[in-house]
Amino acid sequence: MEQKIMIQFSQEQLEKVNQIIARYPEGKQKSALLPVLHLAQEVFGWLSTETMDYVAALLQIEPIEVYEVATFYTMYNLKPVGKYVFEVCQTGPCMIQGSDDIIAYIGERLNIKPGETTEDGLFTLKVAECLGACGYAPMMQVGKFYKEHLTKEKVDAIIAECRNNVSVNN
Amino acid sequence: MSSQKLLLENAHIEGIRYYDVYRKNGGYRSVEKALKMAPDEVVEEVKKSGLRGRGGAGFPTGMKWSFIAKPEGVPRHLVCNADESEPGTFKDRYLMEFLPHLLIEGLIVSSYALGSNVTYIYIRGEYAWIPDILEQAIAEAKANGFLGKNILNSGFDCEIYVQRGAGAYICGEETALIESLEGKRGNPRIKPPFPAVKGAWDRPTVVNNVETLAAVVPIINIGGEEYAKIGVGRSTGTKLISACGNINKPGVYEIDMTISVEEFIYSDEWCGGIKSGKRLKACIPGGSSVPILPANLLLKTAKGESRIMNYESLSDGGFATGTMMGSGGFIVLDEDQCVVKHTYTLARFYRHESCGQCSPCREGTGWMEKLLLRLDQGQGKLSDIDLLWDIQSKIEGNTICPLGDAAAWPVAAAIRHFRDEFEWHITNAAEAQTRNYGLAHYADPLPVSEPVAV
Repeated sequence: MEQKIMIQFSQEQLEKVNQIIARYPEGKQKSALLPVLHLAQEVFGWLSTETMDYVAALLQIEPIEVYEVATFYTMYNLKPVGKYVFEVCQTGPCMIQGSDDIIAYIGERLNIKPGETTEDGLFTLKVAECLGACGYAPMMQVGKFYKEHLTKEKVDAIIAECRNNVSVNN
Repeated sequence: MSSQKLLLENAHIEGIRYYDVYRKNGGYRSVEKALKMAPDEVVEEVKKSGLRGRGGAGFPTGMKWSFIAKPEGVPRHLVCNADESEPGTFKDRYLMEFLPHLLIEGLIVSSYALGSNVTYIYIRGEYAWIPDILEQAIAEAKANGFLGKNILNSGFDCEIYVQRGAGAYICGEETALIESLEGKRGNPRIKPPFPAVKGAWDRPTVVNNVETLAAVVPIINIGGEEYAKIGVGRSTGTKLISACGNINKPGVYEIDMTISVEEFIYSDEWCGGIKSGKRLKACIPGGSSVPILPANLLLKTAKGESRIMNYESLSDGGFATGTMMGSGGFIVLDEDQCVVKHTYTLARFYRHESCGQCSPCREGTGWMEKLLLRLDQGQGKLSDIDLLWDIQSKIEGNTICPLGDAAAWPVAAAIRHFRDEFEWHITNAAEAQTRNYGLAHYADPLPVSEPVAV
């Protein structure tokens, strides 16, 4: 199932890495680790050990220095995720606006529990802690953007839009 | 009563996100003015303004700036803390999305004052679309000579870079932020040494919140003394409040810290009252870590005075009967909300966000979460309430960074003011699964002479 991807940035991506490194004092290229891991995740989908080792080599740091960072921050995926990841905020201000119902509804619609991915590999459902959209609750993050003021209808529309995008792109 | 706007005045002008429109509306004047002053004079203006850190701690900004060490030949850095992650807080996001140039302008002036030639904006990773907005503003400012080499022929060079975090509340703590900027886990450092002496890459570093740095623009434009005339007491200038919860008009508001809490909640100019005609039960006025107050203590202090939206008045009565201004994350709960459940979600949040470095926080937050979940699900014991109290008291003050306190305070305040609701979840466990405790006496007028239980 899992396709073997060659872990190697393109020339353009390597240039981007060098630009990031240049933002920091000389010899402090480790500072580029968080942004470079974001880039790696964007390119390779998730952070496998192989990917993390590749990043370590790029930044001339020990692999353990990458692992300890990748495991600390919630945004790095240490296992494969769906094409669309729904991260639904469940902290206080979202909870009082019905985030529990939204999480349950998405789970029901996609037939998965938080932390799981649909069999077709399209969707992953995650619960998240406060994403800074408390005035526009309930909400979730999908990729780069926030989907706010969620209702069941809106969730349906978002799921349909994702499915549609996939069929168009295929 | 309308409040004076210093930050958001132009927020609704079409195209204000772009340089040309921003400049036409008076943008970047503070850079022109500041670069003709000596850096120390800029620091002096900020001191005179009385500006206090808008991230939550409320420390005087000018004083923080004056602590920066200036060893010969060692570069200094300004780092903008855009890691906004305190539940209830979404004001910096609003500022960066709608007025990116205001932040960049404030950063240039502040970098000049501090002598930072390379300045960083550390933004929470989830705000993934905002770096593009900021980087465009930076590029525009640079193209127009406000960034880069020899800005406005002053001899001052400055570059600004944006770095995304990757999901960690703790990185809003300044030393954890610095660790993260250096490409490490966000484990806070022991202070001293303070960042002003040994910060990023062991260089003198000042970390300030987004709103704080944006406020430097009006301070330089109108002068520190004029800025200090706005507001009251040690609450000078304006403050952004992000209002959410059961109100009619959630959103980001700029207030001048003279209006009452009651006016802020019920006036149509601000929150527009409680949604669906319900009654106010409780409020966390400064982000999830500050003490929750029942309606009666929120609207009036224990002395019976009207409570005002400023640093002094919100903290009137200490933690026994008061709360804090914090980050300005204003969470309103109506009569249908369950304080036990709400507190549980906050405890879960802090357990999730504890970096795990200090045992009282790492272990304590997990215990509090489990106990609160048990109470919420009707499986608690009366002794659990005492155990919760005991745990929170052992976290507070016993950790390297303030996350421990931030985790302890919401639990302590919920028990302090809503103990009967916690007890009801135990004595009436089955009923508590079917309905909420309701308003009870939380909105009763508080007699002036009543002794206050701690």
